[in-house]
Amino acid sequence: MLSPRSLVVLLVALAAAPLALPPFFLQLLTEIAIIGLFATAFNLLMGYGGMLSFGHAAYFALGAYAAALLVRKAGVPMLLALPVAPVVAAVGALVFGVFIVRLSHTYFAMLSLAFGQIVYTVIFKWKSFTGGDDGLLDVWPPPYLKSPAAYYYFALIVVGLALWALHAVVDSPFGYALKAVRENPRRARFIGVNVRRHQLVAFVISGAFSGLAGGLFAFYNGSVFPDFAYFTKSFEPLVVALLGGVQSFGGPLVGAFAFKVLEWLISRQWPVYWPLFLGSVVILVIVVLPQGFVGLLGRRPWARPVGSS
Amino acid sequence: MDLVTQLFPWITNGPLITVQVMSGLSVGMFLFLVSVGMSLIFGVTRIVNLAHGSFYMVGAYLMVTLVEILPERPWAFWVALLVAPLGVAVLGGVIEVGLLRRIYRRDPLMQLILTFGLILVISTLVLLAWGPDNKSVSRPEALAGSVSIAGQPFPSYYLLVLGLAPVVAVVLWLIFYRTRWGMLIRAATVDREMLGALGVNVSLLYTQVFVFGSWLAGFGGALAAPTIAVALGMDGDVLTTAFVVVVIGGLGSFAGTFIGALLVGLLQSFGILVFPAVSIVLLFAIMAIVLIVRPWGLLGRPEA
Repeated sequence: MLSPRSLVVLLVALAAAPLALPPFFLQLLTEIAIIGLFATAFNLLMGYGGMLSFGHAAYFALGAYAAALLVRKAGVPMLLALPVAPVVAAVGALVFGVFIVRLSHTYFAMLSLAFGQIVYTVIFKWKSFTGGDDGLLDVWPPPYLKSPAAYYYFALIVVGLALWALHAVVDSPFGYALKAVRENPRRARFIGVNVRRHQLVAFVISGAFSGLAGGLFAFYNGSVFPDFAYFTKSFEPLVVALLGGVQSFGGPLVGAFAFKVLEWLISRQWPVYWPLFLGSVVILVIVVLPQGFVGLLGRRPWARPVGSS
Repeated sequence: MDLVTQLFPWITNGPLITVQVMSGLSVGMFLFLVSVGMSLIFGVTRIVNLAHGSFYMVGAYLMVTLVEILPERPWAFWVALLVAPLGVAVLGGVIEVGLLRRIYRRDPLMQLILTFGLILVISTLVLLAWGPDNKSVSRPEALAGSVSIAGQPFPSYYLLVLGLAPVVAVVLWLIFYRTRWGMLIRAATVDREMLGALGVNVSLLYTQVFVFGSWLAGFGGALAAPTIAVALGMDGDVLTTAFVVVVIGGLGSFAGTFIGALLVGLLQSFGILVFPAVSIVLLFAIMAIVLIVRPWGLLGRPEA
């Protein structure tokens, strides 16, 4: 992780951002924080557990819809609805995860995709409850959080706490056991690690934080749509983590920054070329830069590979 | 029985069922052409080619262009049907030699992600080349009408597809089980290292298989072009359905893919009758059940 001094500098800079930046950039930073959390949660599986989920949008969407439905249908205030988002997503991840972690590699990815598409279709088709294609509109935070600066601070604090919790998970004995499972499941089993249970717990934690990111995004966006659960959305955290590097805790955060800034620069000018660019970057990263862009920077303290921490 | 007829009023409608079965089988045929290529590529190279739906889409778009530029003669359609898949095969060859060959030894996750990157690149290139509007291909004159099957109209073009299905399946079977090349392919799905150790140029075999699989996807797309709106986004639809087919049948299994494709085709045509709202959920639910009970598919082999 960051050295204490650079962490302080970064935090001060983030806290001071609203003084210097126009609202548009605060919204961009808010989005970066949210997708950074989503990608970090995703990377708990991919980078630390060696599990590739192709259906993580499902948990993002479960969180987003749980929060939005509570606000819209039950009139629950936002600050009470948001904590429900990770809980609902965690329950979903537990139910699906029980089946998914029984499989490995390609089959793991495929079953996660299948469950993801089921979630998408249910949201899409259950019009009376979820609004179907029209989504749910008017999911705004209370007035005191509505300004870009206020929501920016709010998202920053929530994401910061979540990242701190995720880092604690990674740094715990559980996190080390998870890495052992990634490196060599059989050997991990020999030394007494319950492989499937570790994978399932990681899956549920990852799902919960993806759901929290979804809930945060619902209130940022003011609306939720079935697209949140679509399989192309599942590739977003993947691309972000890959851009930044899956081998470090901070990689997905750097990747989120690069992803959103590039998206803003390119889609503003040439929206048509954005997927082309994204696809080319992904291909390039895999063929040429397996460590992601963080890997390019060499062994800086904050880009330390997972294995050596 | 009363309850059944109340719930599903079409169940006593014999002709309707016949037509549904036949259209289900023809949809299954398109699916088979795409899925068998995907399954073949996986069997030999161990790469799940997520860009396979994109190859199908490119095949359909090439068909659109070829039918447009060729002179309006009865043979034009058939020439286009032969040439369009060849274009896709070339595209597949370029991708295999230029990109995939570099990553066969890498983490399977990276291979999946790379082929996903290809989806994005190809879909944008198709958008730039053909524009955002839907295209259509008119059916050849001889097959433009419809015939009466049990009193119900049935498009005659689908009859061509239904007739072609067994032919393609038999030819593929002959290739796999009666030629030396097919033997090498089957050997590669069992043990690639051993095949290489025996002096077979495995790298060349990979390229051939990838090109052949791409050709099959392109052929499926070209053949399907007159029956659908050729549109951006068909890559994703086809990919997810082909995915279900190969998972149900067993990745790398020829017979499994055939059965899976027909099953999914029938499921789609009857799913719309039985559970109109949830036919897609049904598809994925079945795939999930298969993955839970037999992760390697109905006729596949368990992972080593």
